[in-house]
Amino acid sequence: MKPAWETRFPNWRGDLFTLALLVIVLFPFVWIIQLSFRAKADIFDSAILFAPTLENYRALWQGNFALSFVNSIISATSATALAMIVGVPAAFALSRASFRGAHRIGLWILVTRMAPPVAFTIPLFIVFRYLELHDTRTGLVIIYLTFSLAFVIWMMKPFFDAVPRELEEAAAIDGCGTWKTFLTITLPLTGPGLAATAVLCFIGAWNDFFFALILTRTHASTAPVAIVGFMQYVGWEWGRMAAAGTLVMMPVVLFSIVVRKYLVHGLAAGSIKG
Amino acid sequence: MVYPGAVAQPWTERRDRELVWGLVPALIMLASLTAGPIAYLWLTSLTPLNLAQPATQWNFDQPLANYASMFGDPRFANSVVVQVKLSIASVVLQLLCGLGVALLLHPNTKIRTVARSGMLVPMVLPPIVVGITWLALFTVDISPIHRLFAWIGLPFGPLLTNPSTALWAVVFAGTWQHFPFAMLMSLAALQMVPEGPIEAARIDGASRFQVFWHVRLPFIAPTLVVAGLFILIDSVKAFPLLYIMTDGGPGEVTEVTNYYVYRQVFTFSLWGYGSAIAVLMMIAVFLLSYLIDRITRRNDGAWA
Repeated sequence: MKPAWETRFPNWRGDLFTLALLVIVLFPFVWIIQLSFRAKADIFDSAILFAPTLENYRALWQGNFALSFVNSIISATSATALAMIVGVPAAFALSRASFRGAHRIGLWILVTRMAPPVAFTIPLFIVFRYLELHDTRTGLVIIYLTFSLAFVIWMMKPFFDAVPRELEEAAAIDGCGTWKTFLTITLPLTGPGLAATAVLCFIGAWNDFFFALILTRTHASTAPVAIVGFMQYVGWEWGRMAAAGTLVMMPVVLFSIVVRKYLVHGLAAGSIKG
Repeated sequence: MVYPGAVAQPWTERRDRELVWGLVPALIMLASLTAGPIAYLWLTSLTPLNLAQPATQWNFDQPLANYASMFGDPRFANSVVVQVKLSIASVVLQLLCGLGVALLLHPNTKIRTVARSGMLVPMVLPPIVVGITWLALFTVDISPIHRLFAWIGLPFGPLLTNPSTALWAVVFAGTWQHFPFAMLMSLAALQMVPEGPIEAARIDGASRFQVFWHVRLPFIAPTLVVAGLFILIDSVKAFPLLYIMTDGGPGEVTEVTNYYVYRQVFTFSLWGYGSAIAVLMMIAVFLLSYLIDRITRRNDGAWA
């Protein structure tokens, strides 16, 4: 007869293997976080136990990392808000419209999302020079819209497809206009979808490195670009780089725990992948 | 007599007219942010543009000169070869790892359900943080990986500065970052495989591997193809890991086409030439997107 624990955990071999694999996969993530709490002298030390210190974080706070962190928050939030305001009605229209060409628009949105960022950066860099948008948060928000708007439309359309049309038809028969019906009936039903889309859109803009690297210099530089700055100006300060990296990834990790149910669809949209 | 269509027709027509107003702002923005710049990119690709010499901007004397010079540019040819290596290795490794982990996590036990969320972490991390983490892990004097291998008697030197290993080290970090995507797609597809044929195969005495190879794999193959195309397209955009970990080097061994364009334009100020290569990349990406669109529409009508 099998021991009691083996009948309770019939898959224990696979479970054990799963745990081992999870530890290996998450190791780099945990390792970089602990590195950020090590004092300069402990960085090259192989001991697992060390006296944790906030020295690296304090150094960041005294430098101008805080400004780039604020820049990141403002530009990612504004890009998300704008993309949602414009993109959500468009997704609804694409979901409900019976006119021809709706599918072509869908393909166009797919291409926009897939296009290499450098293809947009070259022309927009030249235009930004004339419009004096270089190194401004406004310029960043504009360029983030190139991918976040397409992402919002692409992500929200299936949520609208899933809402039964009968409700809207009933409202229309009662004389309710298309957009009033949308606001009062359809939109509230897609609440979780809206939240997930907004969060993923924010993460996409937050994680951007390429656009910010090219289109900002000092005033509007975002947190990921600031990290690279340390490498170039301060030298190999591993502790400080790890601390900055930890700060930059924390919002993203927290947010993705909140919306993990919708990650499957959202990540297929490729906005997060860099 | 009442014709249902006679009532429905004007209503949907009126609705379509109203719906258009929801699309217009988005289409105007998309057009000015994407179609406009792409058209401008194409125009630039026909000029020898150099921002230091304004006269070069609208000089269309030799519109195809940039395209012609690609053929005689060994560094461009090298970037295409590096790109192909990186893309093939990324697609194969990410699909294998993603599918492998998905098969392990497919059974519904408590631990595996939790692990499914835990495995997603690398994918949502900012690419720049992934780059720093792996740069540190590939740095001999602080990396626990190097210490571990030295301890078991198999020490190895720095991988990122060695021309024969640099690209593979970056591919390894990229696989760590992106395998959860292939895992998610595979998990979703595995969940859709009907139990009937699997039961039937088991009763007929099929081994675990036979069940996978003859029953599960054919069911999930279309999803794997789509996942592979997504990975392929994303590998064309590779940038942050390369920027942090190797800067295209040593020499040009990790300089993919995307990175080459970046160098040509933002380091050497060859805007016209860089634009021409970017135009070719756009065409390649467009063809791949069209392929994804065709496959997913044939499968279920959704966008992907």
